[in-house]
Amino acid sequence: MAATLEGGGRPRPPALPLWTATPPIRSRRAWLTVPGALNAAGFALLVLGAAVMLLPIFWMVSTSVKSLADVFTLPIEWWPAQPNWQNYADAWDQNPFGRYFINSTIVATTTAAINVLLSSLAGYALAKYSFFGKQAIFLCILATLMLPIEVLMVPTFLLVKNLNWLDTYQSLIIPGAANAFGVFLMRQTMLHVPDPLMDAARIDGAGEGRIFFQIVMPLVWPAVLTLALLEFRESWDSFVWPLIVISQNSMRTVSIGLSLFQQENMTNYNQLMAMSSVAMLPMLVLFFFFQRSFIQGITSSGIKE
Amino acid sequence: MTASGYTAPSRTARNLRLSQIRGRRVGRRLSRSARQQLWAYAFLLPMLVLLLVFKAVPIVQALLLSMTSYDLISPPRFNWLNNYLFLITDPRFLGAVRVTLYYMFGTAIPLWVLSLGLAVAFNQRFPARNWIRLAYFLPTIVPLVVFGTVWQFLFHPYGLVNQGLQAVHLPPVMWLTNSAAVIPGFILATEWRFVPYFMIIFLAGLQNIPVELKEAAAIDGGSQWQIFWHITLPLLRPIILLVVVISLILLSRSFTVAYVMTGGGPNNASTVIGLYIYKAAFSEYRMGIAAAASILLLLGTMVLTLIQLRVFRDGRDA
Repeated sequence: MAATLEGGGRPRPPALPLWTATPPIRSRRAWLTVPGALNAAGFALLVLGAAVMLLPIFWMVSTSVKSLADVFTLPIEWWPAQPNWQNYADAWDQNPFGRYFINSTIVATTTAAINVLLSSLAGYALAKYSFFGKQAIFLCILATLMLPIEVLMVPTFLLVKNLNWLDTYQSLIIPGAANAFGVFLMRQTMLHVPDPLMDAARIDGAGEGRIFFQIVMPLVWPAVLTLALLEFRESWDSFVWPLIVISQNSMRTVSIGLSLFQQENMTNYNQLMAMSSVAMLPMLVLFFFFQRSFIQGITSSGIKE
Repeated sequence: MTASGYTAPSRTARNLRLSQIRGRRVGRRLSRSARQQLWAYAFLLPMLVLLLVFKAVPIVQALLLSMTSYDLISPPRFNWLNNYLFLITDPRFLGAVRVTLYYMFGTAIPLWVLSLGLAVAFNQRFPARNWIRLAYFLPTIVPLVVFGTVWQFLFHPYGLVNQGLQAVHLPPVMWLTNSAAVIPGFILATEWRFVPYFMIIFLAGLQNIPVELKEAAAIDGGSQWQIFWHITLPLLRPIILLVVVISLILLSRSFTVAYVMTGGGPNNASTVIGLYIYKAAFSEYRMGIAAAASILLLLGTMVLTLIQLRVFRDGRDA
């Protein structure tokens, strides 16, 4: 026991990424006998839980293709005999959802791009340079994480109003890009970039900007992708801020558009669920392509949501 | 003076010669470290400006605004701490504080237990683990507005939740129109959305615990429960602290769910502080009151965080 605690035992295997940390089970039956396996009752409970987790999403999609009369029928109709996909077209045409999606895409993409670039630059400076006031600046940057838009909505609104930015893209983009989380994430990542690599480039005559873009950024690419996804999602999800600064219909984002549609069509649940499904689609697609980055984002941070 | 008659050139002379070779004056060139410092500031500058304008200035402005009376039309009037005095006697604000605390802790405590339990389960081996984990993870990517909209539909008097209750012969609940049921409804919905999120954080923490420790304890005859209680949990302490702090801060700032599902009703029974601030500012145009409420919310979360840090530090010393 003591030997193990002092690290005298066999060497610890290298840390694997979260999703692959436990080796896969070879045989179908083996999981019942290997140590550290879940017992059958626990497994059954877990599967039941998974069904409960999926049920609301399934119900949303199922309702979206029902006729209005069948939405609350008893006994429960899990999937309509004749799926009515027309609900999607009808709902889509009622409000300018196309416009909402274009707005959300523009805003979320730009916010993520600006935030990733500026966060990487600042994180690089904090990780790889020594300069006067470094610790103090880093602490001040971290302290701004305590100040989300929910706390600062009134003064930020007044600021944006004084800039004459109400009902513009920049009012949706710039305050959202002012988010220090990325600085923290990129600094932590760039601390691991070996100094000799950069020194070698300097000896070869590369400028500081070139070292950043051509040597450091390609090395931390996974973190860049993770941060971009987190920022995109946060911007896509943001609700209270667009609610405050946007009043023109043509400037609304998907979040606001859906909420408005909900208030206008309180009882058209099939169409409401159709538009909810569509609003979820972009995140679903991104998740399936970049599953690992999503998970990494949550574990490396936990600060986001 | 050496025998050969050669004199080593002085430092200045050498620099002078170098500068002649390079064709510029060395004396005015910045040292390497000074140039590096300038680059560092240049890299930092854009983000610093952004944070200064959209975080530092607004928080100072919020402090000033919280001591004024301002309706967006006539100029702000300074009124000392009157807004704060108003808030601590306003039954609606006190109600919002109570609702927020109820929602926060009512959600957080089951959230911690469920997410840790699930993480422990997913740290075991079983078939189709990746697929089951995917099912658990999906609620996390549902956009917040969609989350609110779907659960509002599920909580409809004839909705799926009540149909489920009926199936097990329980009376239906008016989830969103009964002021006693609305926060439990929110809690139920929030567990669905956020348990998987914190499960992922716990799972990462669990997988960082060296297997040797558990194996050694198992060889020494420790039961599963003893190993969990005496080895896993103490080693997980930093992750637990992280989850506790983040979850409470996150829940204290909830807005979207309440806005979408009930708009704060019935009878303000679901008006959380975020919604109170929004209504004070943008439907009653009382900017000073709203700013003061924001400052109180910020102070509240800061105090809560400090208490948690203290509790966890004392626990480690003991």
